[in-house]
Amino acid sequence: MAADPRLARAMDPRRTATPPQPPPPPPPAQSEQKPVGGYDGVEDVNLDSETRREREDFKLKFCTVCASNNNRSMEAHLRLSLASYPVLSFGTGSLVRLPGPSITQPNVYSFNNTSYESMRQELLAKDPRLYRANGILPMLERNSSVKWGPERWQDWPVGMPRLSEYQQGKGSKGAEGGVVDVVITCEERCWDAVVDNLIERGSPLNRPVHVINVDIKDNHEEALVGGKAILDLADSLNEAANEERVDTEGNMSFDERVPDIIADWQERWPHLPALWTLAWF
Amino acid sequence: MALALQEQLNQLESARQIVLKDPPLYPQIVSGILPIIGAHARLELQRWGAEFLAETFSSPVFAPKQKEESAVGVLGTLKDLLDMPKEDAAVVKSVVQTAASIYELVFHYIVANPHDVPVWNQMASIKSSILKRWDTGPAGVRICCIKFVQKIIQVQTPGVIPDPRRPEHNEISLAIVPRDHPMIPPSKLEPEASGLLDRLLNVFQEDHSDALFITATLNCLGTLLRTRQSITNKIMSVILNFNPLKQANSPMNQKAKVHIKAMDRTTRSLLMNMLRRNENGPFASRIKAHVARFDHQRPEIYEESSRKRGHAAEPTDGLDNAKRRRLGAEIPNRELSTIPPLPPGPASLKQIFTLTTDQDLANFDVMSLPPQLMVNITLPVLARVDHQALIEAVNHVRARFMSLTNPSTNSPQIGALGDDEEDYEPDFEPSEDREQIINKADALPPEDSLETPTEVALGPFKLPQPPPMTAEETHNIGKSVVAKVFDKMDRLEDTSVSRRQKPGLNRLAGSNYDKEAWVTVITRLATRTSAGSDEGADGEEDSKAVARKGSFEYSLSGMIRERLAQHIREDFRSRINIAIAWLNEEWYNDQIQKQATGNVQEGKGGLQPKQHYERWMLRVLDGIIPYLDAKDKLLIRFLSEVPEVNEKVLERVKGLARDPERVQLAVNTLLYLIMMKPPARDIAIDAVEDLWRNYDDAKAPAAKVLAKWRPQVLPPPTKPSTPLNINGVKSEEVKSPPPSTLAHTTSVGGEQMEHKQGGFPVAAAG
Repeated sequence: MAADPRLARAMDPRRTATPPQPPPPPPPAQSEQKPVGGYDGVEDVNLDSETRREREDFKLKFCTVCASNNNRSMEAHLRLSLASYPVLSFGTGSLVRLPGPSITQPNVYSFNNTSYESMRQELLAKDPRLYRANGILPMLERNSSVKWGPERWQDWPVGMPRLSEYQQGKGSKGAEGGVVDVVITCEERCWDAVVDNLIERGSPLNRPVHVINVDIKDNHEEALVGGKAILDLADSLNEAANEERVDTEGNMSFDERVPDIIADWQERWPHLPALWTLAWF
Repeated sequence: MALALQEQLNQLESARQIVLKDPPLYPQIVSGILPIIGAHARLELQRWGAEFLAETFSSPVFAPKQKEESAVGVLGTLKDLLDMPKEDAAVVKSVVQTAASIYELVFHYIVANPHDVPVWNQMASIKSSILKRWDTGPAGVRICCIKFVQKIIQVQTPGVIPDPRRPEHNEISLAIVPRDHPMIPPSKLEPEASGLLDRLLNVFQEDHSDALFITATLNCLGTLLRTRQSITNKIMSVILNFNPLKQANSPMNQKAKVHIKAMDRTTRSLLMNMLRRNENGPFASRIKAHVARFDHQRPEIYEESSRKRGHAAEPTDGLDNAKRRRLGAEIPNRELSTIPPLPPGPASLKQIFTLTTDQDLANFDVMSLPPQLMVNITLPVLARVDHQALIEAVNHVRARFMSLTNPSTNSPQIGALGDDEEDYEPDFEPSEDREQIINKADALPPEDSLETPTEVALGPFKLPQPPPMTAEETHNIGKSVVAKVFDKMDRLEDTSVSRRQKPGLNRLAGSNYDKEAWVTVITRLATRTSAGSDEGADGEEDSKAVARKGSFEYSLSGMIRERLAQHIREDFRSRINIAIAWLNEEWYNDQIQKQATGNVQEGKGGLQPKQHYERWMLRVLDGIIPYLDAKDKLLIRFLSEVPEVNEKVLERVKGLARDPERVQLAVNTLLYLIMMKPPARDIAIDAVEDLWRNYDDAKAPAAKVLAKWRPQVLPPPTKPSTPLNINGVKSEEVKSPPPSTLAHTTSVGGEQMEHKQGGFPVAAAG
């Protein structure tokens, strides 16, 4: 294992022959007290998070979604939870698929009842060199520090209290009600699946939810960039939500501003095409 | 004060934690919390409380019965919160969400308690208070109003009653309201719902529509479309007439793009969802057309953004190896010279003339410009072109040609590339499944690898023509094809007699893909496919014919005939039908050929069409005669049904008489022919006479026949035939053919009638 891959990436992402591995799980001491900025050598976004957190009590609740609830959604989950947002994460695929020795031999697991730790153990037994080199083992290590295992969006009982020990993890605090304000998907396919699934459910809860897609390529590098972008988006949205609460006249309606916030955000992150809709739980 | 407030909030929060863990406590906690969060409480408490109520009444773990009771109790608080003079958007938003959840609960309560007027009045005033905000409230409140209205429409439109015996399973809708309900008569509620639906759908017709309201409406219409049959048509026709791309005009800013894309894709999601639920529904075709139309228009509108994405993807994409290598190779080129050297390996003309390093420019297809525009561009450019640069460019192209004709100059480059290949290590793409990779591969422009100059050009690959097959190979392959066709026929079962109909003259051969059809196909393959093409084999001048003469036995139809004959021999009793059908085809074909050549070559003489019938007739006959036993009717049937019988055939029949056992068979057969096949009568009588003269065993039976048909040859001592005998068709020793055989004859003939309209005799003698 080389030095922190993000540092290497900061020098020149394209020079590295193999993609950097995902971040190792952060030391436990870090998560509570210390400022989260600097955790990965990128200080910019989180620099004022300390002050910001004191100023704002209200936190939007987020949910990140990708295909397998492993790489992109988990990277974003970690990021958002470190910024102390309540956050859940899901995958929309039929199965959890991790790369295997070749494209045609993926490692396949079922959602909801396989833990990240058991996947890690299995792959460690299969071929530690391969799965460490392609970053799967470090990714699973990170994931198991975030939550128990991958969950499938379609099986999520929205509104069901999330209090069981399997549902605890980073970002679970504040999301006990089992409902979120914003769903962020990492691929258009997932956005389609989520929107379609919400129509299918028939919106029995009458709770509005913004479903936003941020198109992120499925590799470790892009997941890191995407996680940063998603945090940026979350911060912008949360700021607007707080402004609405301060301005009681109703001139600063949060929901109304969401598309404009996305458009502004898109200017900052032109490589991650966004898509949005207002759906119902 | 602030501390006390924080403390209160913490207490409320812990109460919430309790009910989340223990849902049966909900009614208790809700009624306990209501006084704390009422209209006189502080804003923070109101917000928390309203949010808590919204959560509570949407919770799937709160039992419906208890929820309904609590809902009635909470109406007063909701009304107070709505009526506050200085209202807060967040509170109202949560209250409207709560109202949307409890509307159906209160409705259900009123159905069961028709006389609880105050409760319904409270609900009604909450409803009107919310509807007032629908057009004027803050956007966040207005979307919740949309959802509230959707819920009212859902409740006040009749739904489906799955099982009238089990009312507790019914969905709450107008269908469960008694027609004579004192407070909520369906006759009043349904028009109200219909009016609200019109107002709800108005959002699609407004000129300046906001994506927030459009998507909020679209995303809640799914339930109505699915569960409320009576209003589906209205909703669908509005959605299908909605054009989300209407506002898209070319210079769009980022915000407009987000709005339009949101409306467009949400509409698509809803329509696709509807289509999937009901593939054959009344709207299926319209939905498909609608979606296809927008799929077609979409790229034009998002063109700019998609192009931008494409460019941006290049430098950040660390995993697309083809692109990365290309990028890597490009950097040194720029430093060395403005004109890159040709890539190693074979190069296309396009590559040789491509002098720019600009990928986009290199891939630009000039053909896409109209010629007039090209002329307008080219002329001024030519007039102003730098002479030096032109010469230099021409020299470069010339040098490229030279280097291509002298391949040794290329070898160092190939070596360098080889090193590069060795360093290359495949990258893994975690959690990208195969499907995604395939999708990505599909998305790549197909010409990418072919037209990129700096890439090793493979050029289009063409499979070389296979070497011509020798006659022997053709023969073997032909044989296996024939074997396959026969195999297929063998495997097909006979159409069972019960199913077989007798359409008589209307029968169409080979029309129902049973065994019989295959027989027809095979016999016609044998007789007709190559008819006329191998006829020249008998001629001699034609060089082609001569060339083919040596390989005549390889002809396909010959092979099929051989196989057919063998097939019949293998089991001639059951396959006699095939033999008859085939020989009829052969005979018919011979006649056609004869007529055709007769017409074409009249006066020329020379080429005579090869006649197959006689040859194969005898082959088949030779195949079966040795196996006939004395009482076999098969021969009689066979000879009666084939179209033509000649002396050679009768030779074979006479041969039977050498066997004392089968003398009777031979004589009976001949007698049948004499009686039933007039064209063959004369030769058949000749044959009998021959039998009488030359075969000792046949003397007696033959004499009987001759006594009837040719008494003059018999010696005088024999009694002359009586008139009775002449007229008596049926004699003791000659049995007439069984009725079934006759029936069959007509059915086979039925088919032939059509062919024989060309003036041929129905049955001709030799």
